[in-house]
Parts: sequence; structure tokens; C-alpha cells
Amino acid sequence: MNIIELNNITKTFGSVVAVKDLSLTVPKGSIYGFIGPNGSGKTTTIRMIMKIFYPDSGEIKIHGNHRNGIVTDNIGYLPEDRGLYKKMKVNDILMFMGELGGGSDLRTKIRYWLNKLDLATFSEKKVETLSKGMTQKLQFIATIINEPEIIILDEPFSGLDPVNAEILKDVILDLQKKGSTIIFSTHDMGMAEKMCDNIFMIYKGEKVLDGTLYEIQDRYGADTLVVQTEKGESALTGIRGISKINNYGKLQELKLEDRADPQKILAEIMKNTAIKKFEITRPSLNDIFIRIAAPDRKEVNHA
Amino acid sequence: MRKIIVLFKREYIAAVKTRSFIISLVLVPVLMAGSLIVTLLTENNENTDDKSFAVIDHSGLIEDYLAEQAEQRNSNDIYSETGEKVSPAYLLDFLEPDYDEPFKQKLKISDKIRGKKYHALIEIGKDILHPGDSTEEDYLRFYSEHGFMDDTRYWFSNNINNYLRELRLKELNLDPEMTSVLFAWHNIESMGLAKVDEKTGETKDAKESSELQTFLIPYVVVILMFMMTLMSAVPLLVSVMEEKSEKIAEVLLGKLTPFQFMAGKVMGGIGVGLTVAGVYIFGAIATVNFLDVGDIVPMDILVWFFIYLFFYIIMVGSAMAALGAMCNDNKDAQSLQFPAMFPVILPIFFIVPIISNPTGTLATTLAFIPPFTPTIMMIRIATPVTIPTWQPIVGLVGVILFTLFTVWAGARIFRTAILIQGQKPSLSNLVKYAFKS
Repeated sequence: MNIIELNNITKTFGSVVAVKDLSLTVPKGSIYGFIGPNGSGKTTTIRMIMKIFYPDSGEIKIHGNHRNGIVTDNIGYLPEDRGLYKKMKVNDILMFMGELGGGSDLRTKIRYWLNKLDLATFSEKKVETLSKGMTQKLQFIATIINEPEIIILDEPFSGLDPVNAEILKDVILDLQKKGSTIIFSTHDMGMAEKMCDNIFMIYKGEKVLDGTLYEIQDRYGADTLVVQTEKGESALTGIRGISKINNYGKLQELKLEDRADPQKILAEIMKNTAIKKFEITRPSLNDIFIRIAAPDRKEVNHA
Repeated sequence: MRKIIVLFKREYIAAVKTRSFIISLVLVPVLMAGSLIVTLLTENNENTDDKSFAVIDHSGLIEDYLAEQAEQRNSNDIYSETGEKVSPAYLLDFLEPDYDEPFKQKLKISDKIRGKKYHALIEIGKDILHPGDSTEEDYLRFYSEHGFMDDTRYWFSNNINNYLRELRLKELNLDPEMTSVLFAWHNIESMGLAKVDEKTGETKDAKESSELQTFLIPYVVVILMFMMTLMSAVPLLVSVMEEKSEKIAEVLLGKLTPFQFMAGKVMGGIGVGLTVAGVYIFGAIATVNFLDVGDIVPMDILVWFFIYLFFYIIMVGSAMAALGAMCNDNKDAQSLQFPAMFPVILPIFFIVPIISNPTGTLATTLAFIPPFTPTIMMIRIATPVTIPTWQPIVGLVGVILFTLFTVWAGARIFRTAILIQGQKPSLSNLVKYAFKS
């Protein structure tokens, strides 16, 4: 069952087409990752789902309801640009956001979430006294305080240290287990690969990818080699059949040309250096992202 | 409605629970009372340093009399019964007129006035006794640095005119005994109208109308309305701008529609305005009742005051919220604040002409221009003059319709502008967002 449906939506700002003829269905209970370069239309799409912007054409259904101007209480939204009333106390702001969302038994919920995210000792502090990471967590609690059915998170991990990012990830997965549907936009491809049931990529306002990670990778085939050699990147120069090298220092990710034979390439590399690791694999989400968003990117050396 | 109330509650508490609000709530009456006390104190605290006056008497008639009067005053009037000096002595320096270089003489004396050697120069024209014989020489002039505000000129004016009157009577051979009757003068007493007491049904005689009723009550009413708007609706411009620039707006728009957002904020403004108005008005009523002068406050205008104030805050508040949504930063808000407040300030300029003639064309016309109606109509209602009963009602209908328009246009502007960054607030954008978005 689909909880969100976007049917052929288009949104323009003046002469700029921000989102073009976009259709998308989000299954209930899934984690849906929105990826795309900056300015590609992710936030505009999210804002349209939130009914903050209205599409110029097409329709958006939430629970099958497509009336504009209705903000449903069962959607929690964490925008990319975070903002909270700085002079309010942590407890008060959560109470305020909870009341706005029509929540009940808020005191218990606030206590629970503040404890869970290690903010209990700051409950009577003003927001302006919190660190950036704490404010981020507070904003996250404000988003999910009523445990809404749909949770939309725009860049939830940005600005968080690995420990807090891990805590947040666990909370998101918990909420999914409890039945929430989660949409999150991210530039962290690793997180998207690990967490998302479905991934949607938007580029220049148009949908370029949509499906599970495996479906997306299948489309690109096993055209990638991961190698680790003694000489590193220099041992790979001049070998035919490699169209791009993504150099990670300790290991290199090679994109093969069409119909290139991995075995021949392996033999060529072995002539130059000793091999520690050689793996034929499918492209990572990061690689796919770069191929779409920056096909001629210079940091990737042509062999 | 629930969400509007939640936001209203936050806005109201955020505004009312601040130290600055409580201080300003207390400070305004304290300042008003303070300025009254200072005026009363300084009234009896005259500078008692002696004052020297240069006198040029072209007529040659006044000198002796004036010298005598000054001497009498200095001996009798400048000390209290306890012997304390309460008023300055007037020292007169009679100078011969310099007919060759009159301007040079005047300049010399003026320089001495600037140097505080003289307080003022009094120049008496040659033909002062017989005005009308010559149009040029029948003057009485007082030259000083601060002539208009200087009360000492009245001493000279009164004494010189009294003496001239005496001289003229002598010339006419009239009995001096008759003069007091001849010059008896009756000031016309300004009275209100007789009316029926609504509670007892008794006919009440007219009372003397006072400056308080004629001027002070409408003045206080309009200033109060202006202040309430200033404290409740105008801050919405900066508050919305801050919510936009600090990215709170988008967080709230995830929970509220733009209309609910704006309505909650405007309602917060209404709450603040009515709280302040309530505190001041009921405080003022309690004070006048305590002082047993309760009947000087026309209680029947209070209902109109609160109704008009209510809609006025919505009208101005919606406009301010919409303008705030168009601002990107403090600089934008500062540059918009004065033009935005102009319609609120404008009626203040018309207080005096409207109090003077509340049923005149100017007052009546302005009272039916909706942005000005609340203030102008309240000035008219607060004067003792009866204005036609239909006028405040029709004015209110106009205000309600205009308020609905402001809320509608304001909400459209707010909705569009609140998330647009980098666009400068301009009239063309305002119109575009209101009517084309």
C-alpha cells in the first residue's frame, strides 16, 4: 500500500523548472532515500509533499487525500534549514511542537525522548545555550515527538558526529519498526545504501533513479573493479579497458569500458605490480551518483 | 483553530513574560506620572536670580511709572512670608534712544542679552499712547533669546497697558472711580449640555466643560490606541522577519498552514494589545474613581475603543506580518518599518484639527478611510460633541471589510514570501505576491 503518491508533478519558479513531471510512490512502512546534487529539486519535492509549496500541475496524494492547504498532523518534518526559538526552554519548545502536532501525554514523551537522546539534563536550558549537535537532536525530537506515521527528514545527519549519527540512525530504524514511513534526503551515500529500502535520485528536476539499491545497481551491471596493489594508482596507468579510476588512496575503483574483459585487465595489472585485492563488483551508489551528476568529473582519471 | 490557539499562546507568553514587556508596562505610567510630578515641582521652582532689563522708551511716558512698579514689585512680591526669595528682582536700565544709529544700539544690547548681562530689551514706541495716529510708532516690543516662552514679558505688557489706560482716561477727564466698572470683563463660561441620568432618570444640569473633556480625553484615547498598536502589531514585522531568517518559519510551516501561522501571530498581538489596554484603562478608571473624579471619563466610549482596537490590531498586524515575511534580514526590516508605520502615525497629525471640529468635513472624511477609521473615529467619539450614531457603526463595517481584505492579502503575501530568500521587499513584489501568486 502506498502512503504517498506523486503523480506527474511540475513546479517552476519564474523561468526555472525546479521539478519536472515527477511521479513517485512511497510504500507504507518503507525508508525512502532522496538523493541528488544540490539544487536538483529534492527540497522542492519535499516541500510539495509537505504542502508548503503547491505544484503547478500534477497531484500529490497522502493517504489518498490530495487537497491542498491541509497539513496533516501525522507527518513529522525536519527541514534542511533548522530553526528553533532560541529563547525558549528545551521542554517548552518540545511541548509547543507537540501541541502543534496535536499530541497527547506529551510530558511523558518529552521525558522519554530527552533521555533517549542524552538531552535530559538540558530540559530547562534555553535553546541558545545548546551546542549545534544538541540543537540538531532537539530538532529531531521536535519532529518525531508525536511518533507520526510519516517522517520526512531533510539531511538528518548533517552536522552530527559519528556517535550521534549512529544514535539517530538507530532511532529512525526503530521508528520504522513501529510502523512509520520515513523519507530522508541525504548526501551520505553510504547511509542511504545501508538504510534505505528504496532510493530515488532527482537530477535537474527530473527523476533519474528510482528503485531498490539492487535494482539500481543491476541497471549498471558488474562493470566495476575494486583493486588494491602495492604500487597503488600508478600501476593502473595506461591499461586498456578502464574508462575511469576512482582513487581512494589505499584502493582504487575502476569503471570498465563496455565489453572490457576483467581477466585481461587483471593480467595487465599483475605485470606492473603485486596485487593484494581484486574484486569484480557492481558500482556503489556514490559511483552511480557521480556518473549521473558529474559524468566528466576531472578527479576521476582516465586510464 | 487549535493550532492557531497553540501558536497564539506561545506568542502571547513569549511577549508578556519578558522583562522588557513588564518594565515597559510599568514604565509608561511611571514616566507619565513622573513628567507630571516634574512639571508640578518645577512650576514652583522658579529661577530667583535677579533679571536686568534694558528699556528704551521712545514715548518718554512710561519710564517713571515702570521704575516705580519694578521697585514696588522688588520690595513686596519677591519674598515669601517666611522671607525666602521666591521670585527674581526686576532691575530696569532705562536707555536713551540712539536716533542716529538705532540698529547699532539694538545690536549692542542684543549682544549684552546673549552675554547674559541683560535678560531682555523692552522697546516702547513713540506713539504708544495714541495707537492709530501712526501705524509705525505705536508698538511695544520685547527682545530676548527665548521671547515666546518668556513669561516676564507679561509683567511689562500688563503694567504698561494699565498705565496707558489710566493716561487715556485722564485725557478724557473720566472719573477714575468709574474705570473698574468700565473695564469689567466677563469671560464666557464653556458649558456642556443638560442630560438625563440613565440610572436614576433625573434631569441633570449642564456642567462646565473643561479642557480635560475637550482635549485631554480624545488625546489620551488616540495616544493609547497608537501605543497599543505600536506594542502589539508593529513588532510582528521584526518577529516574522526573525522567524524567516532564523529558519523557524519552515519548521512551523510543516505543522501549520501559512494562514494559521499568520493568524496565530496576529492573535498573539491582539492578546498583548488588549492586555496592555486593559491594564492602563482599568488602572486609569480606578485612579479617577479613587480621586472621586470618575465622571470626567466617558465610560460609554470604552466599548467602541476595545472594538476598534481589536480590529485595528488585526488590520495592522496582518500587514506587518506580511511585510515581515518579505524581509530577509534586519536591514530590510528597518528600512520597511517607517513606511509601514506611516498610516498608523498619520492620524496623530490630525488630532488638533479633529478635536477642534469633530463634525467638520476633514474629520468626517478621514473617519471613513478604513486605515484611519479606528483612530480618527475614536477621537471624534471621545470629544464632547455628539456625532451621528450611524457614523461609528458604518465606520466599523468599513474597518471590518478592510481588515478582511488585509488578512486575505497579507496571508497571500505571507504564504509566498515566507520561504523566498534573497528577494528585496519592493512594492512590485508586494503586489505580485498579493494578487498574482
